[in-house]
Amino acid sequence: MSSSSAPDPILAEVEEAEELAHGVSREQALGIDKSERGGGWITAAWALPGGLWLGFFLLAPLVFIVLVSFWTYELGAKSGFATKWTLSNYGTIFHSSTYWHNMLGSFYTSLIAVVACLIFGFPIAYFLALKVQSLRNQIALFIIALAPFWTSFLVRSVAWTYPLSEVLGKFGVSTPSTTSVRLAMIQLYILFMITPLFFTLAQVDRTAIEAARDLGGNWWRTFRAVILPQTLPGIVIGSIFIFVLTMGEYGTVLVVGQNYVQSVGTIVNSYIVGAVQYPQGAAAAVLLVLALVAGVLVITRFSNLREDL
Amino acid sequence: MGEMNGEGAAGAAPSATTGSGLDLIGLTKVFPGGTVAVEDVDLHIDHGEYVVLLGPSGCGKTTTLRMIGGHDFPTEGDIVLDGQSLVGLAPHKRPTTTVFQHFALFPHRTVLENVEFGLKMHGVGKDERRRQAVDALEMVGLAELADRKPRALSGGQQQRVALARVLVTKPKALLLDEPLGDLDRLLQLRMRVELRNLQRQLGLMFIHVTHNQEEALSMADRIVVMNEARIQQIADPLTIATQPETELVARFMGDNNIIRGRVVEHDGDRFVVADEHDVRASVVAPGDGRAVGDEALVSVRAAAVVIDANGAGGLNTAECEVIFVEYLGDLVKLHLAVGGERMLAKVTGERYPEFRGREGEKIRIAWKEEDVKLLRA
Repeated sequence: MSSSSAPDPILAEVEEAEELAHGVSREQALGIDKSERGGGWITAAWALPGGLWLGFFLLAPLVFIVLVSFWTYELGAKSGFATKWTLSNYGTIFHSSTYWHNMLGSFYTSLIAVVACLIFGFPIAYFLALKVQSLRNQIALFIIALAPFWTSFLVRSVAWTYPLSEVLGKFGVSTPSTTSVRLAMIQLYILFMITPLFFTLAQVDRTAIEAARDLGGNWWRTFRAVILPQTLPGIVIGSIFIFVLTMGEYGTVLVVGQNYVQSVGTIVNSYIVGAVQYPQGAAAAVLLVLALVAGVLVITRFSNLREDL
Repeated sequence: MGEMNGEGAAGAAPSATTGSGLDLIGLTKVFPGGTVAVEDVDLHIDHGEYVVLLGPSGCGKTTTLRMIGGHDFPTEGDIVLDGQSLVGLAPHKRPTTTVFQHFALFPHRTVLENVEFGLKMHGVGKDERRRQAVDALEMVGLAELADRKPRALSGGQQQRVALARVLVTKPKALLLDEPLGDLDRLLQLRMRVELRNLQRQLGLMFIHVTHNQEEALSMADRIVVMNEARIQQIADPLTIATQPETELVARFMGDNNIIRGRVVEHDGDRFVVADEHDVRASVVAPGDGRAVGDEALVSVRAAAVVIDANGAGGLNTAECEVIFVEYLGDLVKLHLAVGGERMLAKVTGERYPEFRGREGEKIRIAWKEEDVKLLRA
């Protein structure tokens, strides 16, 4: 396997053929020429309906909530607040130990849910994408896995309360409890992890898996070298889904937790529905949104770090 | 189908005990559901030999290669390399490695890490494996791209990384599954030379699967033509190109004229076959047991057909209508018709002016008896 240092004439020929075939070098071909793109305003016009839609339904309510969080609570006002600027809503929330206690509790619940969904969801997605042979069977099994989502959220939550209390009771865990709420959440949301994992795993280059096996890679090495790096986008998207969905969770906590369990979501709810304290509720909600944004940034950052795995 | 070994002694009677080389013995693969992918394949390959498995898609060539590499398991038969049966071994325990179709590089690892992978898996220490990987990359002329990711490389470069990645593991046999299929035509032509040159340098056994006839002819020491799970013919490229044994080989290799008819005369080893348009071809086929009246197929290479303007009717000649004159630079293909049967003649490119625009005209062709082959059905 010794190599000569002199340039190989055959290799040089191959390089030349490549350049002839592509007309330009690959580096040049990959560089996108910006002048070739159409007029900027046409692109903008295409984006306009979508932009309006997002602005009206997503951004406007958020802006309004932020505004309300800086306005003043007023008992007699028809809307429940007056448009007088104040920071006192945030002051109240900042000094509410209940709020921060529940924020931390919800964060912890989210963390557990993300990790549990990954641990339980990955083998399912792996089996569906790489072990089930035909695409038809894959899709059939995937639809069956989706079946619980055909029932309503409320039905699924309520359905969980009885079996959970029966099973957990046998292990000496009282219900309703934080544990029962967390277990219910994992079951309710795991499909949001399985789905992106399934689609990224299904796209993993199978011959690369065979090549890794052929070169002596055992299951774990092959997994690390080929499967995991290519599945990372799915893991990130699934984690963001689970994190965002469970951190702000309110319905499951209410139904399965039955007023014994609190979360940030139920605190926000108690300001809005219970106390009709819209400005304080808005401030609590804004802080929750900020916490979610921070969490999502951390997750995406983490994935960037690992891109070169 | 043991009698199908056109090779004679070298291809026949593989023996597991004699030691050197690779033997496929009665190799058979039946997929669940009953599809027979490979049926009773016997083949001996020597070390240092470049063998191409050639055939249409679904003929069993890739399954045969995958069984040698350990990625598919035979239903029956044995695979023996240097006296050792491989059938029970996992892919990485076999002294074979595979270059997969589409290269199958690890996209998230650098070129160097790709090449190092096999050594790492075999427990080679860090410095040693780096040295060997760099050596292998130098051999394929890519040392300066060691830190790139595969997606930043061109097709030809990726192909060479794939080669370096398997060569570092020092296999006894290299298995290549359509290795040039993903490359542009021009690059394919150059890579043929490079790959063959590399194989000669290394003196390794290469087993190469392709459906491309020209690729097989240009690269192989021996070609194994397969169809419908079975071996049709094993021979060197010249024999495959000029002396097809079966109708399939004659048709698949292209540019062979097939005359389907009956034996009308029989004198010792010499037969005369005539088709329904009374095109008559004579052929010498020692040992063929056919009698007058039996069905027979003969083939005549298009390149052996000459245009014979002054010839008269009779044996080894036919009057044709010119259907289409196809100019291909170095050569001209004359698409002809005798009755309803198509025939093909090839002449050199310089003669194009002689035939340009002559579609619809009558033309007389002729060929020599020694260019006629009697085919097995």
